[in-house]
Amino acid sequence: MYKWFLAWRYLHTKLIAFFGIASVMLCVAMVLVVMSVMGGFLDTIRERSRGLHSEIVLESGTLQGFPFYEEFQKYLETHHEDVVSVTTPVIYTYGIFRVPATTYTRPARVVGMRLKEYTQVNDFKHGLHYEHYFPGTTHLGMQRMPLGGVDAQQKLVLPADLEAANARWRAEESDAKQLADYAAHPYEIVMYPPSVVLPIQGERVYAFGDEGPGYVGPEKSGVIIGCDLLNERRPDGNFNRHLARGADIALTLMPMSPTGNVTGEPPVRLPLRYVDDSRTGIFEIDDLCIYVDLDMLQHKLAMDPQPLADGGMTSARVNQLLVGLRAGNDLEVSKAVVAAAWEKFLLSLGDQLSMADERALSFVDVMTWEDLQRPFIAAVEKEKVLVTLLFSLISLVAIVLVGCVFYMIVEKKTRDIGILKAIGASAQGVAGLFVVYATAVGVCGAILGILLGSVFVWNINDIQAFLASLNPQLRVWSPEVYSFDKIPEIVKTWDAVGIAVVAVLASVVGSFIPAAIAGRIWPVDALRYE
Amino acid sequence: MLRADDLHKTYVMGKATINVLSGASISAEKGEFLVILGSSGSGKSTLLHLLGALDIPDRGDVSFQGQSVFHRSRQSREDYRNREVGFVFQFYHLLPELTVLENVIIPRLIGTPALKWLSHRREAKKEAQMMLERVGLSHRVKHRPNELSGGERQRVAMARALINKPTLLLADEPTGNLDEKIGAEILSLLNEFNDAGQTVIMVTHDVRVAACAHRQVRLTGGKIESVVPTRPSPALA
Repeated sequence: MYKWFLAWRYLHTKLIAFFGIASVMLCVAMVLVVMSVMGGFLDTIRERSRGLHSEIVLESGTLQGFPFYEEFQKYLETHHEDVVSVTTPVIYTYGIFRVPATTYTRPARVVGMRLKEYTQVNDFKHGLHYEHYFPGTTHLGMQRMPLGGVDAQQKLVLPADLEAANARWRAEESDAKQLADYAAHPYEIVMYPPSVVLPIQGERVYAFGDEGPGYVGPEKSGVIIGCDLLNERRPDGNFNRHLARGADIALTLMPMSPTGNVTGEPPVRLPLRYVDDSRTGIFEIDDLCIYVDLDMLQHKLAMDPQPLADGGMTSARVNQLLVGLRAGNDLEVSKAVVAAAWEKFLLSLGDQLSMADERALSFVDVMTWEDLQRPFIAAVEKEKVLVTLLFSLISLVAIVLVGCVFYMIVEKKTRDIGILKAIGASAQGVAGLFVVYATAVGVCGAILGILLGSVFVWNINDIQAFLASLNPQLRVWSPEVYSFDKIPEIVKTWDAVGIAVVAVLASVVGSFIPAAIAGRIWPVDALRYE
Repeated sequence: MLRADDLHKTYVMGKATINVLSGASISAEKGEFLVILGSSGSGKSTLLHLLGALDIPDRGDVSFQGQSVFHRSRQSREDYRNREVGFVFQFYHLLPELTVLENVIIPRLIGTPALKWLSHRREAKKEAQMMLERVGLSHRVKHRPNELSGGERQRVAMARALINKPTLLLADEPTGNLDEKIGAEILSLLNEFNDAGQTVIMVTHDVRVAACAHRQVRLTGGKIESVVPTRPSPALA
């Protein structure tokens, strides 16, 4: 026990011990930051990937899509009601997005969906901006432009249905900060076209025109736009909105035949109305995707039933069929059920398939959301292991550093070792003293390292914002590169515990050689030591 | 009680071999105050280290209460240093991180099994306080060695050496680093302990200091030159 007693004394009286503690602390903090950020990155990918899709996805992987999805939907509803809760088709295509008012153009990935069904199978609804503040008002159907104004008290007034929706949100929202922010700066959060804008002291002030709040303009199909595609991202992660809700959008598309040939001359031009913006948190999606009504898009792309020369009709096509599962169903088992059902369904189609249909159907795969994202997830998993391994190797430096620090301590304490041996301490006792001392250094370093690393991870986005405010070149996390708009900020308890244990073991291992040297010092030599 | 027979010790310094002891033999009886006198390099400190098992002779043996010190296990030798011998060094050799009280109790704690730590520590503290009172330092228990004078440090070293009630007190030039007055006080303390029955073997090169001993052993060139009784010893009576 005297070893613990002396180790404790050495720990808080010897300055050199703090170098050991500091080296362990820095290594622990470094590994924890890397593991937390990479782990958080991986978890976010998983979470977001899950939120983007349904549990099971049937996908052809081609732009022309696959037919008979409606029949398969009915087949699943009839035969696998216990497994499948909801199915919804999706169309993917590419187009040119244009804001006529500003002539701003961008290439876009166009997603055709049935919003109500789509939001039942994934988390898409959580990322809709106006739907959050005006619940129930975002839809992709035909709609006119809402006009706002201010009343005599300079308060923003919107059409009655939007005011009612906003009142509903205010009544149900539990986050006091959001309510306060909205009350203080409604125009910074939502943007509705004013009937009259009075520029006063450089600020826009909304005012009533003759029309007052209401809806104006022709009815157009709604479009939801990825937040990075349309808005300007602020350093705090929020967006400056330059386009008012209800503004005109034009989308140019190129329809394809069932065999993948581009049809239509000239390309299809769709007038749309901007109803909301979507934030999935994955930059590649938020910077590229726009969302329109499936049935409208299907019709414009000629993917709806088309007449054949023999008087018959082609089957409608989509690119994906999302399958939501009932709660409690195992993902892999359900995938096997849906895959078997798909095989059975294909067999049931028999001879009615045309060559083009047969080819289109042959491309279809039944996948889970994990399968769909596996290449990406697996790459990040490997990256996490690799980076952690590299940083752990670097952390071997901690062992060497502790070894060096303890070698210096043994050198410095040689006379003390002689004294201890002269008064009866054994060789093992003296060696044990230094191992215990190293354990204490490791424990202190690990605790401080976990604290330092955790504080760093919890504030990593603020730290980056601060560094970027000093010099924009110091912004190391680019959403364009890392997909997500924020650096993950979560420290997992078991990661921290694991790293701490390894750090303490590393300290102990690092002290072995100096401890052995201390144990072997001959007392009379140590007492003569100058 | 203690007997050293034909001790030889050689040190190799680079290419040179130095014979420090060449067949030194001495004995000490319980309660005796023995002084080993000699000039610098005569081997007196080496002899003292061998008597206290801080070093191992090349040849010869030391027997304590009839048992060889060097023909026993390492652990037994460590126990011998911890329980049977108390050392007082010229440069005090206190542990600078510990307080006076902690320096005194540390030999007791070394021999304490982990399970009895708390009770032994309490007991050791009490005894250390008594010992410090005896050497006149009860008011300095919480001080660090660097806050003490040389004489006070040497008293602490004496209290540490005696905390385990050793049979043998080995003092290596205990006054060598002190002025005459303080040195006399330390010698007086040694005499006091000796009068109480403590066996003391002291090394010095100062003939005046040696006068307090019962016997003086003069060492020259690693050999015992003479053994001179200086005053009657109750142990030898």
